[in-house]
Formats: sequence, structure tokens, C-alpha cells
Amino acid sequence: MSAGGDGGEAKGGLPPNTIIGIGAAGGLIGIYLAHFLPATFSFFGGLGAICAIVWGADAVRRVASYGLGTGVPSIGMISLGMGILTALFGLSVGGIAGPIVAFIAAAVIGAIIGVLANKVIGMGIPIMEQAMVEIAGAGTLAIIGLSTVIAGTFDYAVVLETVVSTGFIAMIFIIGGMGILHPFNANLGPDEKQDRTLILGVEKAALAMIIAGLASSINLGLGPAFVTILVGLTVWYISFNKFFGFVKRDAYAVVGTGLLPSEEELQ
Amino acid sequence: MEPLISMGVLALMGVAATIAGASEDLESDVGSQSNPNSQVQLAPQMMFPHRIYNKAVSGEPPSNALMCAIGATGAVVLMGEFNLSPLFALVIGALIAACVHGTFAMTSTMGRAASQSRFKQPVYLDMIRSHTPVIMAYAFITTFCVLIISYMMNVVLGHPFPLPLLAFIWGITIGAIGSSTGDVHYGAEREFQQFEFGSGLNASNSGNIVRFGESGLRNGYDNSWFCAKFGGPVTGIAFGMTVFLGSWITTVFDPAVSITRGWLSAVAGVIIVFILIIWNRKIEVAARNNYGPYKEDKPEEEAAA
Repeated sequence: MSAGGDGGEAKGGLPPNTIIGIGAAGGLIGIYLAHFLPATFSFFGGLGAICAIVWGADAVRRVASYGLGTGVPSIGMISLGMGILTALFGLSVGGIAGPIVAFIAAAVIGAIIGVLANKVIGMGIPIMEQAMVEIAGAGTLAIIGLSTVIAGTFDYAVVLETVVSTGFIAMIFIIGGMGILHPFNANLGPDEKQDRTLILGVEKAALAMIIAGLASSINLGLGPAFVTILVGLTVWYISFNKFFGFVKRDAYAVVGTGLLPSEEELQ
Repeated sequence: MEPLISMGVLALMGVAATIAGASEDLESDVGSQSNPNSQVQLAPQMMFPHRIYNKAVSGEPPSNALMCAIGATGAVVLMGEFNLSPLFALVIGALIAACVHGTFAMTSTMGRAASQSRFKQPVYLDMIRSHTPVIMAYAFITTFCVLIISYMMNVVLGHPFPLPLLAFIWGITIGAIGSSTGDVHYGAEREFQQFEFGSGLNASNSGNIVRFGESGLRNGYDNSWFCAKFGGPVTGIAFGMTVFLGSWITTVFDPAVSITRGWLSAVAGVIIVFILIIWNRKIEVAARNNYGPYKEDKPEEEAAA
């Protein structure tokens, strides 16, 4: 048995299609709202990124349950690696349909990488192709969502000037990637539960939103940045408390202090 | 730039890198990140519940890249939007990064323990409360020093990359060096001190990590105390040398002066790499000659006689 569970299909909780719906629709709606509404509402991009990151975390959970232990961080990184490529491609050619073009491009690249992983490298994970498509899509939406928070729009020229050439893209890359890989990685173990993993995805995505909000103050000014940070902090606080509640529910014991369980207890 | 001034900048960067390397390794050791983590994770499954922090924040390169990129983002905003002096901006940026890293550390140790409930691994809140500030403190030092290096490269040495990108790259570098250099002293030695030194890790000993200290139960402080003797400093020297030698060649042979100088800097870099390869080989051969392989046991007759 691997450290990541019994190496089978992930069980329990919301069905994958519900989460795919929330992630894809929520992500795109958030991005478009942030684009069309005034700068004060750029936090919608962050909310879209939260949906996308939760989706990505769930996809990682499903594919990594097949016994990827140390591969979990790698899969998060490849997600944002594909995402950054397709996000910039989609925004540069798509105009107003940029996020959708990027999303479709992500599905194509994800499918290619999934096939390569299964057929050429021979990983033999049944849902690899579908999971890579999902992970690429989630990574793309996370990148565009957080970029829209900083730029206030997904217009390619503005994103290039305010996100890429300022170097914030590096921060978005790593914080989005960690948002997708950390939830399952931090809950790795045979007694992992979907709700605990996904609420951790919300918590990490809220942190990403706060930092992106901080970065947005250079371009959008203090007002919109303050709103984004406030919304992010609220989401973070609620989700962190919920996560702690789930830990108390799931753990063998949550104790203030104490000795190790005795021999009799372990039997 | 005046050669003397650039040499001074270089020396300062080397010092910051050395401190950053040492604190990076100790930060990962307090929380048992990367290399030692697999055994800390495995221990409860093998009926060895423990009171050791399980900071599973991916590998060290991504987690350090995250800290440094967040710190740089905060610093850029504070310098650009609030016109704060660079020193304050770098400090506050590093503080933000340390706080974010603290949440990553806490959620991973709590989540991993909760996912091992069938092995009866409790979540010890006092251990989390006492260790997380230490992790954050080390993370602060690491991020601050890496930000100093990146800021100097960006502003003083005129590197074309923006600050968050430079900090991101140095974050990955310091994580990779800390993971490969320092962790061995915790993962391979400290966790398995109860077995004969140099005996390697027998599969039957997997997960049987040292859980009891000189007094009471062993924790992350004990491990960072051990690693501060050698693993941390040696990581500091490794990262300090990487930063210093990597920038030294272009400072002495400045490519901005002429293209010949640029080629000379590349040649100097290759020579340094060759010297280090030969030196490493010499150390390895000397160690093998002096300490290994295992001497065979004396034949029984000889022992009886």
C-alpha cells in the first residue's frame, strides 16, 4: 500500500461532474464579470480563480488517488505550466473570447500530455487523459482569474504590461500551482475526505486572491485592492475555520497536549 | 560600476545567501519537509505514532519559490504604491510571506494527521502552536535574505528581470540546494540514530524513526538543534558559494565591457565547475579509502583463538 491510500479510485463526496461544472462555469463567469464590471469588482476574478483551483484540487485528488505519492506536487506544477502557456496564447489571439479560447487550447494540450503520460511513459492510470484535460483547464482559469484581479481586465496588452513584465506572473504561477497541489498533498493518507480536501483548496485559493489583490494596488489603486483583500480575507477566515472543524471531525483525537497513544490503544 | 563597489555588493550577496541557506535548511528540518517527510508520514502506519511536525508543503523548491515570490510581490507593492524605503519594504514583504507559509505548514500537518486517523495518530495542538512560529521565523529569515539578493541583482547589478521573477528563481534554487545538501543529515542520520551508524535503511526499519528524545518525546526543535551543527551551515555554504561564484565571474569579467570579457567569464565558470568536480571526486575517493566498504568479520576460528 502506498502512503497515498490504497491505490484505487477516489471515493465519496460530490461527483466529479458537479465540481467540473462549478469550476469551469464559476471560473469563466468570474473572469468575465471582473472584465466587464468596473475595477472595484475585479475581485470577481479572484472568486473565479477559487472555483477553478477547487476544481483543479479535486482533479488532482482523483488522479493522485491511484498511488501518486511524491508525484502530487509535480502534477500541480504541470497544471500551471500548461495553464500559463495556454492562458497567454488564448488571451493573445482570442480578444473578447480569450478565456474561452485559452480554455479550449488547455483541453487540447492536456489531452496530448495525458495520452503521452499513459501511452508513452506508460503510467497506466485509467483516468489520466481526462484528469490532465481538467487540470490544464483549471490551471488556465486560475492564471487568467488571478491575472484579471491584478490587471482589472483580460485584455492581452494590459495583462502583458501589468502582470507579465512586472514579474507578478511568477507569483501567480506558484501560488496557483500550490493552490491546486497543496489540498490533496496536505491531506494525503488513507483517511482523506473530499470535503476536507476541497475546503483546503478554497482556503489556499483565498490566500492567492489576497496576494493578487495586494499586487493589484499598483495598477488599479488602493480602493479595488482593498475590496479584493477584504473579500479574500473573509473567504480565508471562513474556510480555515471549516477546515479546522473537519480536522476535528476526522482526526483520531485533537488534543491540547499529551503523550503518545499507549500500546494497548494501538492494538 | 566601480569594480570595488560591485565586489562589495557581491560580498554582501554572498553573506545573505549563506544565512539564507542555513535558515532554509533548519526551517525544513523543524517541520520535517521533503526528504525526511516520507518516513515521518510512514511512521504511524507502522505503529509508531509520533509528536513530530509533518510539514508536507510539496518539495522545498516550490515552497521556497512561493515564499520568495510572495515576499517580492509585497515588497514591490510597498515600494511602488506606498514609496516605502527598500529595507522596510523587504522586511514587510518577508513578513507577509512568512505568514502565508505558516498557514501552509499548519494545514499540512493537521491534514496529514487527520488522514491517518485509522493508525491512531493524534493531532497535538501544543506541538503545532509551538513549532509553527519557529517555522515562520526561519521562513522570514530565508525570504528576507533571498529578497536582499534579488533586490541587489535587480537594482545595483542591473539585472533585467523584475524582482518577483528573480526572487522566484532564487527561491527554487535555494530550495533545491537545501533539499539536496542539508536534508541528508536529518533524513538519513537523525531519524535513524537508533540503528548502527552507516548501516543504511533496512526495509524492515522503515517508519521506525526515533520518537523519544534525551528527555521526553522528540520534536522538531531537537531535530533543528542537531541539524544546526552541520546540515544547516553546510547548506548555507553551498548556497553562498552558488550565489557568490555565479556572480563573481561576471563581476570580474564584465560582459558589458566587451564581448571578449563575456567569453572569459564563461570560461572562468567552466574552470570553476571542473575544479569542483575534481575536488568532489578526491573527497569521495578519500572517504571510500578511509571508511568503506565494510570490513569483513573475522573468521570464526580466528575469533575463537
